[in-house]
Amino acid sequence: MFKHPTSMPGYAFKRGAESESDQHSATPAAAPATANANGIFRYLRDNEPDYARLHDPVTHERNRYGQPIETVPEGHELRGQSLRINGCSEVGANPNRYKQHGFFFNADNCIACHACEAACSEKNDNPAHIAFRSVGFVEGGTYPNTQRLNISMACNHCDNPVCLKGCPTRAYTKFAEYGAVLQDPDICFGCGYCTWVCPYNAPQLDPIKGQVSKCNMCVDRLEVGLKPACVSACLGKALDFGVIENIPEGRTQARAEIPGFPRTDITHPNIRFQQTRATQRDMLRLDSAPLKYYRDDASGRFKPVVDPKHGFARQWNLKKLLGSHENAHIAFTLSVQAVMGAFLALTVGAWLGVAAIVDFVGSAAYIPTVLAMVALMGFGLVKLNLHLGKPLRFYRGFNNWRLSPVSREIAGVSLFFGGLSGTGFFALFDGLPFAGALQTASAVAGLAGLVVGGYYMIKLYRIPARPFWDHWHTGAAFSGAALALGGVLLALVALAAGVLTTPLAALLGGMVAAGLALEAAGLLAHARDMKARGDEGAAAHYEQTTTYGWPYLLRNGLLGAALFASLATAASGAALLFVPLAAIAIAAAVLGRALFYVLVIPTTLPGAFFWRNQGFVEHARESGLAAMPQLGVVMERH
Amino acid sequence: MLFGRGKKNPIKIADKGVVAWKYAACGYCSTGCSIEVGLNADGKPVASRGVADADVNRGKLCLKGIFEHELFESAGRGTRPLMRERWHEPWQPASWDSALDKLADEIRRIQAKHGPDSFAIISTGQMLTEEFYTLGKLTRGLIGTNNYDGNTTLCMSSAVSGYKRSFGSDGPPGCYDDFDHTDCLIAWGSNLPEQHPIIYWRMKEAQEKRGFTLIVVDPRVTMLAQNAHLHLPITPGTDVVLMNAMMHVIFKEGLHDQRYIDANTHGIDALRAEVEKYDPVTASKLCGIDEDTIRVVARTFAKSGAAMQIWTMGINQSTHGSDGVVGINNLALITGNIGKPGGTSLSITGQCNAMGTREWSSCSGLPNYRYLEYAEHREEVAKFWNVDPEFFPKKRGMLQTDIYQAMEAGQIKGLWLIATNPMSSLPNTARIRKAMEQLEFCCVQDCYEDTESAQYAHVYLPAGTWAEKDGVMTNTERRINRVKPVTPPPGEAKPDLWIFNRVAERFNRDGRVKFPEHAGDIFLEMGQLSVGRLADISGMDHALIEANRGIQWPYTAEQKERGEAPPRGGKRLYTQDGTFSYPDGRAKLIPLPFIDNNEVPDDKFPVWLNTGRLIEHWHGRTKTGKIGNNNKYSPIPFIEINPALAAELGIARGEYVRMVSRRGDAIAMAQPTQRVPKNMVFLPFHFHDCANRLTLGLLDPHSRQPAYKQSAIRIEKIADQQAAAKLSMDMRTF
Repeated sequence: MFKHPTSMPGYAFKRGAESESDQHSATPAAAPATANANGIFRYLRDNEPDYARLHDPVTHERNRYGQPIETVPEGHELRGQSLRINGCSEVGANPNRYKQHGFFFNADNCIACHACEAACSEKNDNPAHIAFRSVGFVEGGTYPNTQRLNISMACNHCDNPVCLKGCPTRAYTKFAEYGAVLQDPDICFGCGYCTWVCPYNAPQLDPIKGQVSKCNMCVDRLEVGLKPACVSACLGKALDFGVIENIPEGRTQARAEIPGFPRTDITHPNIRFQQTRATQRDMLRLDSAPLKYYRDDASGRFKPVVDPKHGFARQWNLKKLLGSHENAHIAFTLSVQAVMGAFLALTVGAWLGVAAIVDFVGSAAYIPTVLAMVALMGFGLVKLNLHLGKPLRFYRGFNNWRLSPVSREIAGVSLFFGGLSGTGFFALFDGLPFAGALQTASAVAGLAGLVVGGYYMIKLYRIPARPFWDHWHTGAAFSGAALALGGVLLALVALAAGVLTTPLAALLGGMVAAGLALEAAGLLAHARDMKARGDEGAAAHYEQTTTYGWPYLLRNGLLGAALFASLATAASGAALLFVPLAAIAIAAAVLGRALFYVLVIPTTLPGAFFWRNQGFVEHARESGLAAMPQLGVVMERH
Repeated sequence: MLFGRGKKNPIKIADKGVVAWKYAACGYCSTGCSIEVGLNADGKPVASRGVADADVNRGKLCLKGIFEHELFESAGRGTRPLMRERWHEPWQPASWDSALDKLADEIRRIQAKHGPDSFAIISTGQMLTEEFYTLGKLTRGLIGTNNYDGNTTLCMSSAVSGYKRSFGSDGPPGCYDDFDHTDCLIAWGSNLPEQHPIIYWRMKEAQEKRGFTLIVVDPRVTMLAQNAHLHLPITPGTDVVLMNAMMHVIFKEGLHDQRYIDANTHGIDALRAEVEKYDPVTASKLCGIDEDTIRVVARTFAKSGAAMQIWTMGINQSTHGSDGVVGINNLALITGNIGKPGGTSLSITGQCNAMGTREWSSCSGLPNYRYLEYAEHREEVAKFWNVDPEFFPKKRGMLQTDIYQAMEAGQIKGLWLIATNPMSSLPNTARIRKAMEQLEFCCVQDCYEDTESAQYAHVYLPAGTWAEKDGVMTNTERRINRVKPVTPPPGEAKPDLWIFNRVAERFNRDGRVKFPEHAGDIFLEMGQLSVGRLADISGMDHALIEANRGIQWPYTAEQKERGEAPPRGGKRLYTQDGTFSYPDGRAKLIPLPFIDNNEVPDDKFPVWLNTGRLIEHWHGRTKTGKIGNNNKYSPIPFIEINPALAAELGIARGEYVRMVSRRGDAIAMAQPTQRVPKNMVFLPFHFHDCANRLTLGLLDPHSRQPAYKQSAIRIEKIADQQAAAKLSMDMRTF
């Protein structure tokens, strides 16, 4: 296949650029260029070595997950279209164009020479801090009976592309051509959600450009029958590529797992492995993640387990905890949840005719309360929007409402914000015709937005690749925060306005207590379940009790104290108790939410010692090493 | 299946807009890969790719080659000559004329005042062969100092010395094609996948086809060691013991090739008498390899139809470096494994043109492996160059390492340093610093003005690098390949050849010695001087070399006239009986008594310091340290340390540690790994002010190459990690 590209029907193949060395070449010069010099044929030379050419003599019908390998059947409307690579209209003549392709990695052979990564970055013109493909390693045994196992991975162009489903802007497409999952940086607004959901760390968020980019399978090379740049560059005879489930010549296995490779059930990745050499039972990571891989003798598979790399001492690390890139998320989620809780209490309380609420809504404090809620939520929204890599593209957040929990969250939260604002706005015209009806309509819309937005705000964190979040405690913590902070918000405004009556204080105290109790119950179950999981979730919990051991204890103590104070308030109705209660509850909420974000450890490829090592990245940023452009680490953008 | 957007945007894939590809052999290691550099419409180098029909690399490149086009615009390039009266004063820009006049005047002044040899010239393995030849002609024929050497003394000197002692001449007899024919490969102190990735690929291709036995001798568990059939984690510096023991077994069990020995060698009796003392039991106590393994390795090697040995710095950089090479040659000779397909002793060379300097620079003698010690060689070259044969010294002068010791002792007063950086690369930096400080005059000629050695220079000459210049280089398998100017040197920087020719003008006012201006003409002149020599290149010219993507020497004018095309590869030396380079055509079998003069660990300094290279960096890191997509894999110095030792010292992963030797101290980050034993750390040598603050570098008695890989240190925990991080950073900022 593709042995003689010049004879391929319909195309006059030609290298894009004149090779001066061909003046002396033994092979005759190719025909004059007719294809676009910047087109899909620009990489093709008339003497491409065999190792760089695709070679799939036979293909299977279905993959191991039962999916057809053919992406679209003969005659499908998606067939025969040009990929319009850089605007070229040519259609590649690859006979396997509509079959799912994937990488093949022979772990027996990889020597970690980085040629694949370099070839990828050279072709895609990536700066040092961005890499579509990375090599990490795990190590086991004792000198000299030691074994280093290198893993080179890019995008696995999954059957179930969670990136595509998660992306709110619809920047992702899974193409019928080769089954390639491609991302369009020009659509992306840099929220980074795809980098959260991908179990393999394939999408790369560039803090400088403020957008994501990723492996494009070198579809331009595939179109002319060449393997991707990384595969063609491999020096260890480790990396290969072809129609999925095909075992390359001279190889004997096509497994879907090797030690250090994240679980495959989330996305059904299109990567296959060979790993025939006996492994050590314990394979360690050389990066800072407190994880190692332990062999289960029955299945022969490795599972991630905690590796307590830095002992069991409790530390503070407050600066790292509160100075994280995710601060915008802390501000957004807490403020929106507080406002949602308050809104729920006001609307539902009023409709149910709860006297304390009805009185409060009727008081002069009502309109300032709604304004305060709008202001607080506006603050959260601004923080979140500025957190985007490209804030001006915020409107694209709704684009993927069919699939993405983020889009649905944004839609719901926006509807809620509209309803909230409407409620406040029409309250200004109380007594005028239609004002009451419009207020009610706004409140109904607000409630609908609250339910949808609140649900998807939780749902979007239930990411299988982030076990620390993928637990019901996320829902408990978010709903609990809504009740607790919503109650606190209403009580503080009422207190300031002098309308925090004893019944209202008791009611709000009860609401806060319910929220805190819900969060506490979630946390207890979470800690128990994370420890029991033994994977990235357990590793995150290990960090929770060591690296952030003191803030964790402090938060738990504050939560307990707040729960006690809120119960006392509920029982006594003492308005002034809300002053200490608010301080403690807010501190507990901020600390808790910061822990939630900083602790999560995604399932991902193990790093190397410098490259893709979170510990070194943090060191480089703290020490100032990251100021050197050739270091491959850039500062976070806040 | 889920496809996402129905209406798709065009796919955007990075387009560097390459409009032309320019040919050049790679300027990093001596594998000798053919590269094409892509130029965009503005003529700017923006891409690199391997040349598909080059026999060496067959389209492949390693990560350094893949980003080699970024070299041209890397930080710190020199763009104009600089001068100053004293090295601690600020630089002043200068014209080429005034800088070159100053260099020539200072050479004359110092030679007149302190004698001709008081001015030293130290070059490199980085330049092009025509430049080496021109510098050699200038130095030997006009300037006349005998203290003229290159930094190849730091990497290949032991191989040169060993080849000369065994075979009568330098010149590696094998080639990469040997991998495709061998039945057994022993890699002595060679981490092929990291140091020579493309040669590794060729080896791996062959191994997957033929399944030959791979035996690796290395104290560290490299990827090659890990993937070998047999890994021998030897005690540092004891290779000669293992070789002697292997020969002991081979002779004892009658596995040697008596016919080959009789037809090709001298000295078998003395060798047998010496190795008789190294029975495997005795040897195992010294070299740390158990007796059974020694026997198995000896038998496997000797019984193989064709067996080859490769080696790199694990052998060369030791006090027994030259002996180690001779030992490898002994093993090859007694089993008849020289000059046959798959049977060879092949030194895997370091720098891109270390071979070119060995052949043509006149550092160790006169061009094309001629010796100063031979009157007929002096006569022949003097006549060819039109100089007085009596002007040549009758014995080789000092090597780089000895020159520096003499400089430290005040005997060398002036220095012209070309494309090398002893402040980073020589052992025991503290003493190198003192030696440089006291020079009356120092000229640094380099493509980087921020090279650390320039801090002691009075004149800085900005040179072109790699494919800013025109000429040829020779690789490990004796293949001469072309480098062509892809882009001009930046600013006023000039190719080294231009600089040498301008200096030559200042010593050659009467024009009696010819210095051709163009590399192509110089190459033809070299061809004339090579007729009938081992490295006969008289059949080659620049165009033919490029058309063939490199030609292995020898390729003679006679072959060319016969119409015999240069072979694609697979050319070997000493393929016929009795054709070795000694006058009688026989190789020497040399007995190797073992003297343990290493600095071995003791109570005060209990840890071996093993130094070496990383795949992502090139030597002193002046090049790769500035290319992010190379540098990021190891941007700061680190040590591989056994987790048990780290735990004992209370050192955590990623902490900075202090290493102390009898020479000084250094800081690096700790990487706990089981690749090294508990009594050894591995420290990459690339980083300035790091490894060589610690190394002793005892010199090999024959090759004068330093033993970088065997020093003793202790390791200390650092309490103030922040200060350590700052210090580590400040010591090497670009």
